[in-house]
Amino acid sequence: MTWQTFVFIPLASLVFGYSFYRFFILYKLMLAHQNIGPSLDQIKARIWTAVTNVLGQKAVLRKKSAGAMHAIIFWGFIIISLGTLEQFVTTIYQTANFEFIGDKAYLVLVFLQDIFTFGVLLAVLYAAYRRYILRPEALGKSKDATIILSFIALLMVAILFTNGFTILAHTPWFQGAMPVALYTSVLLSNLGLSPEMNMDFSVFFKWAHMLIVLGFAVYIPRSKHLHIVAAAPNTFLRTLGRSKPMQSINFENEKITQYGAAKISDLSWKDALDYYSCTECGRCQEVCPAWNTGKPLSPKLLILDLKENLYRNKEKILAKKYAEVSPVIDANVTEDVIWACTTCRACEIACPVFIEQTNKIYDIRRNLVLMESKFPTEVQTVFKNMETNATPWAFSSQDRAKWAEGLNIKTMAEDSNVDFLLWVGCAGSYDERNKKVVRAFVSLLKKAEIKFAILGCEEKCTGDSARRIGNEYLFQTLAKENIEILNKYKVKKIVTTCPHCFNTLKNEYKVFGGNYEVIHHSEYIVELIRSGKIKPSKSIEETITFHDSCYLGRWNNIYEAPRAVLSAIPSARLIEMQSSHDESMCCGAGGGRMWMEEKIGKRVNIARTEQALKTGAGIVASSCPFCMTMLSDGVKAKEMAEKVKVLDIAELLDRSS
Amino acid sequence: MNIYVCIKQVPDTETKIKLKPDFTWIDTSGIKWVMSPFDEYAVEEALRVKEKNAGSTVIVVSAGPTRVIECIRTALAMGADSGIHIEIPETADNNMTAKALANAMAKKETASVDLVFTGKEAIDDGSAQVSQLLAGFLGLPYVSVVLNVEYGAQSVKCKREIEGGAYEIVETALPAIIATQKGINEPRYATLPNIMKAKKKEIKTYKTSDLGISEGDQKIKFKNFELPPPKQAGKKVSGDPAAQAKELARLLHEEAKVI
Repeated sequence: MTWQTFVFIPLASLVFGYSFYRFFILYKLMLAHQNIGPSLDQIKARIWTAVTNVLGQKAVLRKKSAGAMHAIIFWGFIIISLGTLEQFVTTIYQTANFEFIGDKAYLVLVFLQDIFTFGVLLAVLYAAYRRYILRPEALGKSKDATIILSFIALLMVAILFTNGFTILAHTPWFQGAMPVALYTSVLLSNLGLSPEMNMDFSVFFKWAHMLIVLGFAVYIPRSKHLHIVAAAPNTFLRTLGRSKPMQSINFENEKITQYGAAKISDLSWKDALDYYSCTECGRCQEVCPAWNTGKPLSPKLLILDLKENLYRNKEKILAKKYAEVSPVIDANVTEDVIWACTTCRACEIACPVFIEQTNKIYDIRRNLVLMESKFPTEVQTVFKNMETNATPWAFSSQDRAKWAEGLNIKTMAEDSNVDFLLWVGCAGSYDERNKKVVRAFVSLLKKAEIKFAILGCEEKCTGDSARRIGNEYLFQTLAKENIEILNKYKVKKIVTTCPHCFNTLKNEYKVFGGNYEVIHHSEYIVELIRSGKIKPSKSIEETITFHDSCYLGRWNNIYEAPRAVLSAIPSARLIEMQSSHDESMCCGAGGGRMWMEEKIGKRVNIARTEQALKTGAGIVASSCPFCMTMLSDGVKAKEMAEKVKVLDIAELLDRSS
Repeated sequence: MNIYVCIKQVPDTETKIKLKPDFTWIDTSGIKWVMSPFDEYAVEEALRVKEKNAGSTVIVVSAGPTRVIECIRTALAMGADSGIHIEIPETADNNMTAKALANAMAKKETASVDLVFTGKEAIDDGSAQVSQLLAGFLGLPYVSVVLNVEYGAQSVKCKREIEGGAYEIVETALPAIIATQKGINEPRYATLPNIMKAKKKEIKTYKTSDLGISEGDQKIKFKNFELPPPKQAGKKVSGDPAAQAKELARLLHEEAKVI
């Protein structure tokens, strides 16, 4: 033991003690949230996702250069931390080094540390180049980042100097495994210092390294670097798979008096873990249709603002004085921010640490609608229409089956012995343009001689828009009524042309007792083609670009079926837009935005239409009634309706077969 | 302050009205019932007055078959305090309805009347008479088609719409009956806690016999109902202006029979 032992032990205890205390407070703050978080299931799958995405950096590496940069720093951090640990241990007790793992293993360890030290240094230089020279907009300015990058760079330099001077001082036996340190020692030898001086400098840089590490321990809990602790559990606790039903509210439970989130503490511990995990990388913001069209919503800023709100109310929440916690709607998270979201989920899919922004927006909307009755005024009519006529449009429920007049389609009441129930949806029932889509699909079904039925006037809106806007009460009323009818006819299989109905029937009805095999018409048509029941024989000499619907794609991972339908059409040439599949841009109608006016910024549907027009395609294909409306309006607004047609995949295939 | 709001349950605006096979009344099966939109403005206005005057009570009154209780609940969910349901046949005319409403409000056990709101008319029959008759029965001043109200301690100043796009300002002493027009306010959407609370709020029910109403109060006998002829396609009048005017006048006189 030396003086170093007696300086290090109290200093490290103090620093780690303080750091641990800070983490403990954050943990307690997390648990003091009032909504229930997700439950732990599928442990094996969770471990696997953590292994691939944390250790394997899979999600981070979706962005190539920035991802590689991060992966090197991350893997370097793991390897070098072993060296730091050894440094700590030998500082306390000089001979307690890690050589006990065996000479060969130790050489490998030392080699990896040496290589990664250099690698991390290069990665940090690239990070600095990216942040200060390239300056991608989504990164924004961050003092945290500057401090962290400087800290990491200094750490690496300190390691190289420690090792360089050590080599000069007493040529350790493993120095051959440290090529970078050896090269550093050659450079340092130019200083021409005595072995004692070299030893002193080695100790100096070792301490410099250790002190920066201790500084990190203090700094992490209060910075965006908190993600190095939070991101791994957040990945482990992520929503597995693509389908994600919204959390349901039990209205029977009279103990619940607060619906949705009025305050930050009304959200769940998982939401807090989300803010802790945020790395401020801005990938969410880059893909956000709201942000990219000048709306005040940035998914990244939303998370940071919620985090700020949480920290601002920290003392009150820890003391469980929930009544004194300030509202979640504040100068940063305004109502406009909350209503701007189309729930397209591009942010969540882009997030490398699996933050779920939509959950928070849904909860805040629920409070606004259910508790405070605050929402864009035009939505009130929509709610009322859904309440009285079970459709957001102002039409009579008695007219729901009018689209089918003269088509000789049976209702379930007339004959329920069918292959499947065709769920028409409100758009297919009432919207002139989308009625044509359903009729085209029916025409295909007739060509294939499929036996199906509709509910007719017994069908009601699935409630998707109401639910996404925050009116859970209205949604559940409609859902329960629909489920009662569906179960009455013992419906097992449902096919629908609307991705919103599809998602709701498939994923959101289960919890209320509605279990059905639900198929989107794109998948169903693919099957009809494969089985030879539909033979696309007529050519469509045109370039077609397909627009992905969010609720089909990102929410349910169906990307290939609609493309397969289009590919089956002779002579049709498929061309992709600049953003497609997981990165596809929303049409602007999701999350109830279909029913709201768009007063701020550029219209989302115009932005998306411009992307479609840029491909030069003569046909824009869609597979969703809302996208159909938005893109048709977009093409008209761009005065391109003469040249470019917006058609549903069913209409195209009907023309071709 | 005791504020009464008279509301009527009517078929939803999107309803396709069908008639009974014997044409004696409309076929009510399959009808979605809602509060008449003009009455929603009345409820909202009453609630706003209540919110500005601590200790005020809003009482909703509706006459009709049992189904109208649903409509009263809607008003209670918006924030009204209690309800009165008058059981009356749906064929009751304006006179009988108005008298029943007046007698219910005048009953000893019910709170005294300080202010009454109604919609300017119900959207089903559109007769716009009940609130005026009510004023007659109660002996209260009446202002209709009101777009804005300035509330004083003893009186109200009402801005009302009159023909020709003009407005009229009427000042009257309280208590008074005010019939609301679209535009006076934006009716609120009931919050969920209020919907829950509404289920427990008191609704008193009176039968016609409790209110001294007899068959003799029915002044109108409905004989026969028929649907308006289906809308015909528009006609375009062509030719030079003089010929167009001549043809238009002829059509209005001979076909439409309006001049």
